[in-house]
Amino acid sequence: MAVEGRYARNKKSLSEEEQCKLATSCVAIVGCGGLGGYIAEELARIGVGHLVLIDGDRLEASNLNRQIMATELNIGQWKVEAARDRLHSVNSEVQVDVIKEWFEEEKGPILFKDVTLVFDALDSLSTRVMLERVCHQLGIPLVFASIAGWFGQIGVSLPGDFSVFRLYGHGERGVESTWGNPAFTPAVLASLSVAEGVKLLVGRLPALRRAWLQVDLLTMEFDRFEIGDT
Amino acid sequence: MRVTVKLFATFRDGRFKVEEKELPEDSKVLSVLEPLNIKPEEVAICLVNGRNVNEQHVLNNGDTVALFPPVGGG
Repeated sequence: MAVEGRYARNKKSLSEEEQCKLATSCVAIVGCGGLGGYIAEELARIGVGHLVLIDGDRLEASNLNRQIMATELNIGQWKVEAARDRLHSVNSEVQVDVIKEWFEEEKGPILFKDVTLVFDALDSLSTRVMLERVCHQLGIPLVFASIAGWFGQIGVSLPGDFSVFRLYGHGERGVESTWGNPAFTPAVLASLSVAEGVKLLVGRLPALRRAWLQVDLLTMEFDRFEIGDT
Repeated sequence: MRVTVKLFATFRDGRFKVEEKELPEDSKVLSVLEPLNIKPEEVAICLVNGRNVNEQHVLNNGDTVALFPPVGGG
């Protein structure tokens, strides 16, 4: 449904031309949990025209503390379908494709056929590294974010950068397995991701290429680190 | 020699944010980790003066070591 004034408060932050670019953009979100849910919500609200949501998981009670798509009424539903239903009620002008599968390397070319930007909202270190490889082979920019407890990391990886490999290429599991994920951390890191992603979509320069932002919500410190060639 | 050690995220829990450490000459990053009870495999990223290194990297007087645990949740 076209709603007059829907994007009125995007003005000045985004030009009319940039708003049009968002409307004609197709973006994939890989992982539709804490991070991916908020990322999808913000992309739909700001006016990205086409979203591809990829997640092979169903909602469960332990998701209620942080996943914006999770409610007491939809426990057991596919996460991507819960997301689609919510996004439809927020902005029905957005086309939402749902993929009820885990992301795998060989699916990249099909799933990302029309995609010009990918968000990494996964929860596995090794899949993150694989997703970056797939995106770069296809020439697609990637915004990555990760969370654990009060902490998070976010950055941008353009083809050839391999930032994700450098950050997440060692080890199997992160400290989130013991520190959990409270409500505020995915919301903050998702918002930072979308801010960088929107810049990429409208043709502005991202701030975190070949770098990452280390977020500490206990001390409220945001530290930027460069990712060098070594 | 003296090096500055900076810890991030969950590494700060029960330890510190930043401290100066006195170490013997030619100490490796490993000698910073051991007294902190951090195993090398628990470190996702180690930067010395902003450059990515591993635990065998030999430190110099005045270096700044930054240690990050893996943060992988979504």
